[in-house]
Amino acid sequence: MSAAILLAVPLLPLLLAVFIGLRPGQVRLNRLVPWAALPGLLLAALAPTGLEATFDSVLMGTHLAVDPTGRAFLALTAGLWLAAGLFALGERRGDTRRHRFYVFWLLALAGNLGLVLAQDAASFYLFFSLMSLSAYGLVVHSGKPEAWRAGRVYLILAVLGEVLLLAGLILAVHAAGQSSLAAVATARPEGWTLALLVLGLGIKAGMLPLHFWLPLAHPAAPVPASAVLSGAMIKAGLLGWMRLLPLDATGHAVLGETLVLLGLAAAFLGVLVGVLQVRPKTILAYSSISQMGLMTVGIGLALLLPEARGWLLAAVTLYAVHHGLAKGALFLTAGVQNQWPGTRLARAAFALFTLLPALALAGLPFTSGALAKNTLKDPLAAEALPGWLAHTELLLTFAAAGTTVLLLRFLWRWQAGLQASTDGLDRQRWWAWGSLALMGLLLPFAVLVAGPGGLPVEPRDLYGLALLWPIALGFVLAGIAYRLIRDRETPRVPEGDLAVLAEAAWSGARRAHRNLALPPPRPRRMPARLRLLRLKLRQRLEDAERVLTRWETIGLLFSAAMLGLYLTLLVG
Amino acid sequence: MDGGWLLLAILFSSLGPGIAIFFLPEHRQGLRTALNLGGAGTKLALVAFLLDGVLRGDEYYFSLPLMPGIDLVLAADALSLLFASLSAVLWFVTTVYAIGYLEGSPRRSRFFGFFSLCVSATVGIALSGNLITFLIFYEILTLATWPLVVHRGTPAALRAGRLYLAYTLTSGLVLFTAIVWLTLLAGAEGFTPGGYLDGLADTHATTLQILFVLLMIGFGVKAALVPLHSWLPIAMVAPAPVSALLHAVAVVKAGAFGIIRVVNDVYGAELAIELGLTAGLLVVAAITIIYGSIQALRADDLKQRLAFSTISQVSYIILGVALAGPLGIIGGLVHLVHQGITKITLFFCAGNFAETLGIHRISELNGVGRRMPLTMLAFTLGALGMIGLPPLAGFVTKWHLGLGALEAGMPWVLGVLVLSSLLNAAYFLPPVIRGWLGERRKPWNEPLQAHAGPTRFETHWMLLFPVIFTAALGLLVGLFAGLELSPLGWVSLIVRRDYSLPEFGL
Repeated sequence: MSAAILLAVPLLPLLLAVFIGLRPGQVRLNRLVPWAALPGLLLAALAPTGLEATFDSVLMGTHLAVDPTGRAFLALTAGLWLAAGLFALGERRGDTRRHRFYVFWLLALAGNLGLVLAQDAASFYLFFSLMSLSAYGLVVHSGKPEAWRAGRVYLILAVLGEVLLLAGLILAVHAAGQSSLAAVATARPEGWTLALLVLGLGIKAGMLPLHFWLPLAHPAAPVPASAVLSGAMIKAGLLGWMRLLPLDATGHAVLGETLVLLGLAAAFLGVLVGVLQVRPKTILAYSSISQMGLMTVGIGLALLLPEARGWLLAAVTLYAVHHGLAKGALFLTAGVQNQWPGTRLARAAFALFTLLPALALAGLPFTSGALAKNTLKDPLAAEALPGWLAHTELLLTFAAAGTTVLLLRFLWRWQAGLQASTDGLDRQRWWAWGSLALMGLLLPFAVLVAGPGGLPVEPRDLYGLALLWPIALGFVLAGIAYRLIRDRETPRVPEGDLAVLAEAAWSGARRAHRNLALPPPRPRRMPARLRLLRLKLRQRLEDAERVLTRWETIGLLFSAAMLGLYLTLLVG
Repeated sequence: MDGGWLLLAILFSSLGPGIAIFFLPEHRQGLRTALNLGGAGTKLALVAFLLDGVLRGDEYYFSLPLMPGIDLVLAADALSLLFASLSAVLWFVTTVYAIGYLEGSPRRSRFFGFFSLCVSATVGIALSGNLITFLIFYEILTLATWPLVVHRGTPAALRAGRLYLAYTLTSGLVLFTAIVWLTLLAGAEGFTPGGYLDGLADTHATTLQILFVLLMIGFGVKAALVPLHSWLPIAMVAPAPVSALLHAVAVVKAGAFGIIRVVNDVYGAELAIELGLTAGLLVVAAITIIYGSIQALRADDLKQRLAFSTISQVSYIILGVALAGPLGIIGGLVHLVHQGITKITLFFCAGNFAETLGIHRISELNGVGRRMPLTMLAFTLGALGMIGLPPLAGFVTKWHLGLGALEAGMPWVLGVLVLSSLLNAAYFLPPVIRGWLGERRKPWNEPLQAHAGPTRFETHWMLLFPVIFTAALGLLVGLFAGLELSPLGWVSLIVRRDYSLPEFGL
C-alpha cells in the first residue's frame, strides 16, 4: 500500500505527460496539469512518519520514503508547483504550443517530487536528471534567440552538474559499500568525492561561481516556469547537500568554512549585481542567488557547529520553504505586470499580493521571513565561532539590508512597466498568486502551531529590533542611491555576468584556433599518364568488385577460404 | 554429445532458411517473408528453450572432429547464451525491419540469403566452444557481411566494401596466425572460465604477451578499437538494417565477444593482469572511448555520428573486461546487451527518418518530432540511454563500470567515463533538441508516401514497430535491472557462477 502511494507521487505526472503527448489536441487534459502535484501535497500533509517502500527489481534497488526534511521539501515543492500550475493555465491560454510546455512541465514536476522521496543514489540521480533536463524545455519554450542562448548555458551547466554528481555518487557509494543516501552520508565522503558532490549539486543551487545560468534562464522562461525554477528546483541542490554531506557529530571544518565563505559572497554579490539590473525577473534571479547564499551559510554553519546542527538544518529547511513560497509569489507578481486592475478593491488586493512576499523576504516582523531569519541566527548567539567567522551574524544582518535594497529595486523597476489590464485577470491566476503571497503571513503561524520536525521556534522569534534596523538601513541606502543616480545613466552589469565572459572566451578561443590553423595543402597534380593509369586501374577494380558482388562468386571464394583454412590446420 | 542437437538446430534455424532463400526467385515475396520470419521465430524459441536449460544447470555440448586433436566444438554456457539470445532477439526485430525497409527494392533474395548467413555465423560465434571454432565462424561472418555492405552497388558502397574486406581479412590473417600458434602451444582446449594457460605462464610469458597483442589486433578490427576502426564509419553507407546488424547484433559485437572470450576464458583475468595485458587494453579502450566521441561531435551525417558513437560505446565493453574485477566485468558484459539494444534503436530511427522523410543530416532534423513523434521518442530514449541517464540501459552499465574502476583501484577510468558522458551529451542532445523543439517551415518531402502511398501510422508499420519494441526494451532492461532475468541479473549470474571471483556487493 505504502509502495503504491509513494510511487504514485512521481508516476501520476509522468502518466499525464504521456497522455498529453499522445493527444496534444485534448484541451481538457490540460486542466489536470496543476493537479498532478496534488498527491505530493497530500502525502506531505497526511503521511504517517516513517512511510517507506523498497522496490528491489527497479534499477539497482530503489528506496522511497518520507522523512522529516523530505516532508517539508515535499510540501514546498508540491504546493509551489500546484500554484504555479494554476497560474500557467491562465497564462498559457493563447499559446498554440502549450501542450509542449505542459509535457516538459509534468516531466520536471515528476523529477522534482521524486527526488525528494528518493533515498538511494540511483533513484535520486534518476529524478534529479529528469528534472534538470526537462526544465530545459521550459527555459527555451518561447523560442526567442534570448531563450535559446539561456537554454544553451543552462543545459551545459546542468549536464556538467549531473556528470559531476554521478561521479561523486559512484565514488561515495563505492566508499560506503551500499547505495542508500543515509549510508553515503554516514560513510563521510572526503576529498574528491566531497568536492564532486558539492559542485554537482551546487550548480543546481546557484552556488558561486557556477550561478550564472540563473539570471539567464529565469527571465527567458515563461513566468510560472521561473517561479518553480527559483522556488522549487534550485532547492533540489540544497536538499541533496543536506542528504549527502557529512552533517554528523564530527562536522567538517574545511567544507563548513568554504560554504560559509561562498554563501556570504553569493549573498552580497547577488545583491550588488542585482541592483544594477533593469528587468524585474533578472533582479529576482539575482535575489535568488543571494538568498541561496544565506542557506549555503546555514549548511556551512551546521558543518562548523555540530552541536547545533539539528537546529541549523531545521532552520535551513524553514528558510528554504519560506524563500520558495515568497520567491514563487514574486515571480508571479512579475507575470501580472500588465494586469493592473480597474476596481479599487482589486487594486488593494493587487498591491497586497505584491508587497507581502517582498516584505516577507526582507524579513518584516510577523512574516515568514522574520521567523526564518531569526531561527537561522539564534544558535549563533550561543555558539562561539573562531576567527572571522565570529562576525557571521553581523554579516547576515547586513545581507538582510541588501535584500531590502534589492527588493526595492525590483518593485521600482516592476511598477515602471505596470500596465492596465485589457481582459482582466482570471480567477485561477488570482487564486494561485494570492495564496502563495498570503503564505508569507500564514506560514509562521502554521509552523508555530504545528511545530513540524521538532523545530525549536517560539513566538518571540516573530519580531525583534534586529529585524527592523536592516530594513530601515535598506531603505536609507536605497534612498541615497536613488538621489545619487536619479539623473544619470545607471551603470549596468550584463545579465548572466560570468556567462558573458565565458562566451567571450569561447568565441575568442575559436577565432584564435581558426587563425592558427594551417592553410589547406594545395592539391598536387599528377602527370596525365599516371592519372589515366590510375583511373583505368580503379575501373578494373570496380568491375572486379561488381563480379565479386554476385553471390555465386562469394560462395566459391568462401568455400576456397574454408578449404584453405582446413588444409593449413591439417598441416599445422 | 549431450543435447548437442539443440545447438545444431539453433545454428540451422537460420542457415537452412538462408540457403533456401538464395534459390528463391525475386518475386516470391510471400514465401521469402515466411522463411525469414519462420527461421527467426524458430531460433528465438530454441534459444529460449536453451536458456531455460542452462538456467537449470543442464550441459549442452556438440563436437565434430576436424582433424586429430582439433575438434569443432559447440557448447552453451551462460556467457554464450548472453550473446546468442541478444542476437536471436535483435535478429527477429531486424528481419521485420529489413522486410519493411527493402520493400520493392531489387535483389532481395541475395540480401536476405546473406542476412541469414550472417546471423548463423553470429550464433555460431556465440556457441563456439573453442578458439578454432570461433575463428571459423568469425571468418564466415566476415565474408557473409561483405555483400550486405556493398548491397546497393554504388561507388561509395563498393569503396566501403573494399575497405571493410581489406581491414577484416587482414585482421583475420593475424587472428589465424595467433590462434594456430596458440593451439600449437597449448592444444585446442575449450573455453574455460579462468583460462587454461596458467601452466605456460612461467615458461612462455613473452610469447603469451605477443599472442595476446596479436589476438587483440585480430579482434580489435571488428570491435573497432582505435586505430583499427576506420572501416566502420565508412561502412555506414550500407542500408539501415545492415548498419543495425553491423553495429548492434553481429560484426562489432563479434569482435568484442572475442576479446571477452580471450581475456576471461583463454587467458583468465588473473593471468592477464599478471602479464600486464589488461593495463594496455584498458588504455586502448579509454583512448577509443574518447576518440570516438570527439569524432562523433564533428559528424553532421546522422548515421556517421552514430557510427563514431558505436566505436566509443563498444569500447565500454572492452573497458569493463580490461578492468578485470567482478563489477567491471559485469559492467562490460551487460553493455554487450545494452549497447546492442540502444544502438539498434538509434539506427532504426535514422533509417526511418531517411526512408520516410529523406532526412540524412542532423541539421535537417528540425521539427521532426511533430511529424514522427513515436520514432523521435524512440530516438530520444536511445540517445539518453547512450549518454547514460537513468532509468535507461546505459546508466546501469556506467554505474557498474564506475564502481568496477574504483574496485580495481583505477579512479582515472572514472574520469574517462565522466569525459565520455559529457561528450556523449554534446553530440546526442543536439539532434534530440532539434527534433522536439526546432521549427520546420517548409513542408516535408515524403519519399515513402510518394512511392508507397499514404501509411496508417507515421511511417510503414514494419519500420515503426521494431523501433518501438527496441526502445521499450532499452527502457525496461534499465528500469527493471534488479530482476533476475534482466541482462544485469543474467550477467551477475555468469560472473558469480563462472568466475568464482571474490564476494562482491551492490
